[in-house]
Amino acid sequence: MATYQEFIQQNEDRDGVRFSWNLWPSSRLEATRLVVPVSCLFTPLKERPDLPPVQYEPVLCSRANCKAVLNPLCQVDYRAKIWACNFCFQRNPFPPSYAGISDVNQPAELMPQFSTIEYIVQRGPPNPLIFLYVVDTCLEEEDLQALKESLQMSLSLLPPNALVGLITFGRMVQVHELSCEGIAKSYVFRGTKELSSKQIQEMLGLTNPSASGPQGRPAAPQDPAVTCRFLQPVHKVDMNLTDLLGELQRDPWPVPQGKRPLRSTGIALSIAVGLLEGTFPNTGARVMMFMGGPPTQGPGMVVGDELKTPIRSWHDITKDNARHLKKATKYYDALANRAAVNGHSIDIYACALDQTGLLEMKCLSNLTGGHIAMGDSFNTSLFKQTFQRVFSKDHNGEFRMAFGGTLEVSTSRELKVSGAIGPCVSLNAKGPCISENEVGVGGTTQWKICSLSPSTTLVLYFEVVNQHNAPIPQGGRGAVQFVTQYQHSNTQRRIRVTTVARNWADAQSQIQHIESSFDQEASAVIMARLGVFRAESEEGPDVLRWLDRQLIRLCQKFGQFNKDDPTSFKLSESLSLYPQFMFHLRRSPFLQVFNNSPDECSYYRHHFVCQNLTQSLIMIQPILYSYSFHGPPEPVLLDSGSILPDRILLMDTFFQLVIYHGETIAQWRKAGYQEQPEYENFKHLLVAPVDDAQEILQTRFPMPRYIDTEHGGSQARFLLSKVNPSQTHNNLYSWGQVIQCSIHSSKRKLRTSFYVQ
Amino acid sequence: MEAKDLYIKPGNQERGWNDPPQFSYGLQTAAQGAPKRTPLNKRVPPPQLTGSPCPVPGDFPSLTAPMTPPTNPLAPPCSMNTPPRPCPVAAPPLAGVMMMATPPPPFPVVEHTDSASSQSENEPDVDDVVTLLNWALTACRHTVKKQVCNDVAKRLKLFEDMWKSGKLSLPVRRRMNGLVQELKSCNWDAADEIHRALIVDHVNEVGQWMVGVKRLIAETRNLNPDLLHTQEVDQSLDTSSTGNSD
Repeated sequence: MATYQEFIQQNEDRDGVRFSWNLWPSSRLEATRLVVPVSCLFTPLKERPDLPPVQYEPVLCSRANCKAVLNPLCQVDYRAKIWACNFCFQRNPFPPSYAGISDVNQPAELMPQFSTIEYIVQRGPPNPLIFLYVVDTCLEEEDLQALKESLQMSLSLLPPNALVGLITFGRMVQVHELSCEGIAKSYVFRGTKELSSKQIQEMLGLTNPSASGPQGRPAAPQDPAVTCRFLQPVHKVDMNLTDLLGELQRDPWPVPQGKRPLRSTGIALSIAVGLLEGTFPNTGARVMMFMGGPPTQGPGMVVGDELKTPIRSWHDITKDNARHLKKATKYYDALANRAAVNGHSIDIYACALDQTGLLEMKCLSNLTGGHIAMGDSFNTSLFKQTFQRVFSKDHNGEFRMAFGGTLEVSTSRELKVSGAIGPCVSLNAKGPCISENEVGVGGTTQWKICSLSPSTTLVLYFEVVNQHNAPIPQGGRGAVQFVTQYQHSNTQRRIRVTTVARNWADAQSQIQHIESSFDQEASAVIMARLGVFRAESEEGPDVLRWLDRQLIRLCQKFGQFNKDDPTSFKLSESLSLYPQFMFHLRRSPFLQVFNNSPDECSYYRHHFVCQNLTQSLIMIQPILYSYSFHGPPEPVLLDSGSILPDRILLMDTFFQLVIYHGETIAQWRKAGYQEQPEYENFKHLLVAPVDDAQEILQTRFPMPRYIDTEHGGSQARFLLSKVNPSQTHNNLYSWGQVIQCSIHSSKRKLRTSFYVQ
Repeated sequence: MEAKDLYIKPGNQERGWNDPPQFSYGLQTAAQGAPKRTPLNKRVPPPQLTGSPCPVPGDFPSLTAPMTPPTNPLAPPCSMNTPPRPCPVAAPPLAGVMMMATPPPPFPVVEHTDSASSQSENEPDVDDVVTLLNWALTACRHTVKKQVCNDVAKRLKLFEDMWKSGKLSLPVRRRMNGLVQELKSCNWDAADEIHRALIVDHVNEVGQWMVGVKRLIAETRNLNPDLLHTQEVDQSLDTSSTGNSD
């Protein structure tokens, strides 16, 4: 009999789904009493090297407001060739092509091991992928050179049939024509004048199809790839574009002393979005924006050009002293929504020593599934490798990026969908499964995810709608189906269908079973995403109070303790890590903003709401491993008590990898013992964490910072700021202490009520 | 991919604080999908909550080995006196990988330290390489547009000039030799992969002309195979006339 741990892991491996509860409370009232809602993390394109796609269309339920896909939970009458939809109970005939099926000759989609299955479908001619580079030229010479080289390199990494385009900007915005012969031409726009999409298309000569028809005859429908001079196939223009990139100069407008360069990022992006809107709506496309500083001119400007006016800090924002914030955010929000509607994603690669305006621009990537990379300079390994990894390939040699995704969720009637949190926008699809209580992006059962990777993960929140004391639904199981349609990087259109079910349980009589089905890791991420979502619109302290209240309620429900005896408090194994996650979450940069700039915060939050469970957990509670002579590397508590003189610690926060050498180790290293042959084991010890860190460094996206430090080193602060600063080993995680530092002193009432129960 | 092409360079600490090390293209592609030796994904529950005895790392189990050799009380446990540490990992996954166990002082990029050995038998011959490239280009001239061929030729010439004036490092020269060998054997994917590895690892050296080689591979693979065989016969006669004339 598999344990819940094994069950949870197997399900994640097969379906990319992790539920907060794996036994569902059968009534709404009981579900709310469980504190953590019935919800799941879902990775639509989880890598499944063992799953061969099938080359036919999925069979759909014929009921108009259902349209669920045939799946292993459906009842089938092989003799009559009829199947019953497990969501709406409609009986549907099989299509003629299924005439030969029987219970010994099942189609793949009915087999239990194909709870996740992928279909390759034909949906018209395949559309090429599109990459539109938008490049800031207000960079230092060294940075511009490094960026140019990276862009030239990327032409060799792009899919060969992809279309590519180039827009450069500084004070003006230039859209480059990529013809194969003759003199290179470009269209120049003023960086201050806002233009409508139609105006942009007119000025670029994209809206007059009759002009291309010869001699007054109506123009024959042309391949858009031919007519759009600004977006051309890589394999045709690679040489010209390489030269063009090589010849790019710094923005020629001189920057006076005490001023910032005039950067028209807002207009540049508006032209990029408008260009794609007019030429390739509803096709997979990626706008890749590279910027070396904040927008200082035109709509979307984030800061003025006077250096003596610094870019907004959290202090400015709380004091309502950020002049451009609201307007710029609104501007980029509108652009982001336009791009999302068309299925176009926007990446931001921001490399500068100061902030660049990620706070205002983050919606461009958050709503479209684009990437955000943040570095100090384009001439760093962090940027170069992160950028290279955008084009990484899987075991089949195919690109990991996917485009134009839509996700549709169906549920059995006892469940409704409250919403989703992740890199998506609502498709406003109405239906019977929608809950009135919106969480995240709600009011719909369909979302658009313009760009996806194998790690892109959404959190979906459900509501149990069964009334209290209503009988457990027949069959005893509730089901959810996820249907993801997308454009594969090889331009095929695919549909991936995942159908999962869990048993209903009566919370009154089976609370212990429900408790043991709790997935604390998934729940930590689920609650964390809720917290981060709230933090975007609520005051910071309110979010922390909310988080603390949820933790206390959960502990009250499931904790075992003796009244008035804090040290007697215990949680069962399925919940034992959860308080620690919440403790570290409330100290994390996602919810504690004051240690980081607004841009840094936006960067961290962006990655947090799109990563999968393992990576998200690392962000909440960094992993800490200890290396010593006393045995193999072992995980240790993220606590100051784990910092010892004769240990090396490897900490992974997702954004940083820290190798910290304890005091004695540092002294030995300084004395050079690792060079002596008789101390070869010390050499191995020093190398072990480096090797393990290397494995992470080789594959993680985005590339993390790498910090090698030691006791007393200034960089040791990265470790010291993350560990729980317990005073002694003996009262590690004493509950009195935890609750004390978790709750503001003004909320003494909460602490008292906890102990009284 | 040779072992020499799997390497790590330090990050740019001048431009980026705590800039991570840079991995060669070969190392990055090899790592995709490879299983981890020590998956770092475990956490430890705080002891009080589970009621189990505190597994505090500070409680030293009794050491089974003397701490130091007699003369030096401040040294680490000596290899010969300690029980062999149970090796937690298999052998390093890739041979010839260079590691940095200490914060690197600024040191020259790995591949530039081999000027002393450049006269060894590994040194490829520029003329052989250029001849093979021109062989492919000549074959293309039958069907591929003239402008494109001239563009390619221009870049091949630049490549040749850079080589002859000593501007290309040994790894680039060596790998280009490998690339043309693959081209000759009609292993298009392998040649393409080498071009990609070169542009990722050495973009500052190859950036201006590599796109010509890329195009050459792409066009040559689409040619009628007979065209290539004909060219083989002509190759020995046709050495310098295929270069560009402008």
